[in-house]
Amino acid sequence: MKLLDIGLKDLVRSIRSAFFWMFGFGIPLLMVLIFYFAFGGLSSSDEGVSLPTTPVAVVNLDRPVPEFDDVSAGRMLADLLSMDGFDQLLDVTSYDRAKDARQAVDRQEAAVAVIIPPDFTATVFGSSGQTALELYQDPTLTIGPGVVEGIINQFLNAFVGSKIAVDVATEALSARGLAIEPGQLEAIADQYAEWASSTGGDLQPSQTPHLEVRLPAEQAAEGDPLADILGAIMAGMMVFYAFFTGAASSMTILQEAEGGTLSRMFTTPTRRSTILGGKFVTVFLTVIFQVVVLIAVSALIFGIQWGDPVPLAVAATSLVLLAASFGIFITSLLQGTQQTGIVYGGVMTVMGMIGMSQVFMMGAGTPPPAMEILPLVVPQGWAVRALDLVMGGGGLGNLLLPVAVMGGLSVILFFVGVFQFRKRFV
Amino acid sequence: METHAIQVQDLHKDYGEVYAVKGVDFNVYAGETFSLLGPNGAGKTTVISMIACLLEPTKGEAWVMGHSVRKEPMGVKRAMGVVPQEIALYEDLSAQENLNFWGKMYGLRGQVLKERVEGVLELVALTDRRDGRVGKFSGGMKRRLNIGIALLHQPDVIIMDEPTVGIDPQSRRNILDRVKLLNRQGATVFYTTHYMEEAQELSDHIAIMDHGEIIAYGTHEELVQIVGQLDRITLTINADSAQVVDQWRAVDGVSQVVAEDGTLELLVDDSNLVLPRLFEVATGAGLRITSVEIQEPNLETVFLHLTGRALRD
Repeated sequence: MKLLDIGLKDLVRSIRSAFFWMFGFGIPLLMVLIFYFAFGGLSSSDEGVSLPTTPVAVVNLDRPVPEFDDVSAGRMLADLLSMDGFDQLLDVTSYDRAKDARQAVDRQEAAVAVIIPPDFTATVFGSSGQTALELYQDPTLTIGPGVVEGIINQFLNAFVGSKIAVDVATEALSARGLAIEPGQLEAIADQYAEWASSTGGDLQPSQTPHLEVRLPAEQAAEGDPLADILGAIMAGMMVFYAFFTGAASSMTILQEAEGGTLSRMFTTPTRRSTILGGKFVTVFLTVIFQVVVLIAVSALIFGIQWGDPVPLAVAATSLVLLAASFGIFITSLLQGTQQTGIVYGGVMTVMGMIGMSQVFMMGAGTPPPAMEILPLVVPQGWAVRALDLVMGGGGLGNLLLPVAVMGGLSVILFFVGVFQFRKRFV
Repeated sequence: METHAIQVQDLHKDYGEVYAVKGVDFNVYAGETFSLLGPNGAGKTTVISMIACLLEPTKGEAWVMGHSVRKEPMGVKRAMGVVPQEIALYEDLSAQENLNFWGKMYGLRGQVLKERVEGVLELVALTDRRDGRVGKFSGGMKRRLNIGIALLHQPDVIIMDEPTVGIDPQSRRNILDRVKLLNRQGATVFYTTHYMEEAQELSDHIAIMDHGEIIAYGTHEELVQIVGQLDRITLTINADSAQVVDQWRAVDGVSQVVAEDGTLELLVDDSNLVLPRLFEVATGAGLRITSVEIQEPNLETVFLHLTGRALRD
């Protein structure tokens, strides 16, 4: 009970601290707000939002099928992407081989490659079978590939709708013993296309079991591309400042030691291990409070999609444990609060910057392999990676490695920190 | 029959080669006010820290209400309330929030806690400021609250480590009156100070401490008897005192001369007889005495007599 009393007392003190609100919430949200404006967040509901032209590599491997009058769905899709209406959005280049298109993306000559499979027409017009249209995209980009994916989904929906309309009409006429002529089917399909065109954005992404737009798991996020960018920044900021909060909360142990309140607690009939335990509870409670508020507020203000609740809870809990344990550990190495300036302001800032370097490189093309590994040399990098995976649609399986690393680090850092503090105070 | 609230036997504390406390023995009777008097650095806070279970003695033992500081620290802590020398409060919490928190640390809960908090707020005259942030309080108010916290669990023994340091005379008077009140209400008070007049006013027994040792123990009257009828003369002169110190030491009736910070402290048999001789010597040396103060024997005189130094240092 006293353990919680100490923790709650410190949480109340933190909540009353302007410093806590400034660095725990104000600055991370402010940073995201700046990016929000930079990416045109304010004008997202206005007309005339200008998006950069996205270079697209298209490979049409589709083979026309004689039974469908040699009509090629792949050709229709390729033409759609190249049509005049999209020329402000997409800059389409055709390739003969899928390999070449992927290499164009790897060389950052294209933001996304659209690889239309050989059995595309057979699957679109046929009544059975399954195929996959591949989108191979630059993982650091979200807006351009998102636009391409949206266009393709619209196209597939129209096809699926037309096909259903024709099938329903054919069955209805057959049931009445009437034959259907080729011209009638075309008319039905055209009428459906006209209706689908009039409904515009109300069409939902492809639901057909025959066709799917296949994306890697970490690229499968749904929703607003702007929110995706802001989400990555928010995750980085949250990790960066959660580590500071863990350290600053742990610093209250040193502050209380210097201010005399820790000694005073030791004169009360409360075990020293309970008192220190209460201080550790404080650290965890404060970081939990910060992380929960940041996730909720950023979702509300910026519409950030944090991913599925369960993986998010696992990643956020791992972040809390790691940030708190790291704070306890690093503070246990300090002799007094006069040393916190250089350690928190210097060492932790550098570590935080390294940890979120992948966020800084977003939009700068495919980073070299070394830059993908660099963030993982610091604990913050693993936390950013875990949140990034969850936001990208990753499930618990995708989180195994980062969560295991974060959990292991938390245990080690926590026990080393506790050992140091016990040696000093107990 | 008198019982001991605190017993201290051969208490030592050293840090390697550095001795902070060297074999201290004394008893504090239940219901009395006991003062540990000594200059800064004498070792008073170290003794208190060992009694309060904050520091483990290098050697020796102490008991509070029969509980050993080594073997039963929880019993010791339940029996006493400690008022630390520094103000140990949470400035970003209100007076009531501070009391609530510290009350819980003493194991108080629910209605009992509520009543004790009310009682202490009244005792330290902060009822109307209960919701005020402690950071906005005056030094005197903080000192009162600092004391109040130690009273929440109604301890048998209250340990006060220089509770009047750095406050204005009015607040100091207020605190001394409250210490007397607590003692009248039955609490045993263990009080440390380097102010002779506080020890003299409050205490039933006084121990004088210097360089980690108890150099005198007794009632005020018993201690003053140590110096007999010696008067204490404090002088200032208009030049370097070194010129006359040795000559004054040679004057009949002068038992001690200490020069510190531009003033001279002398212990003399009879100031009426000695003073004219001191003026003669000073005049002969071409010096002028600019102020003279004569005091009857008191604890300052005792300390000067025993250590050759003034207590204020």
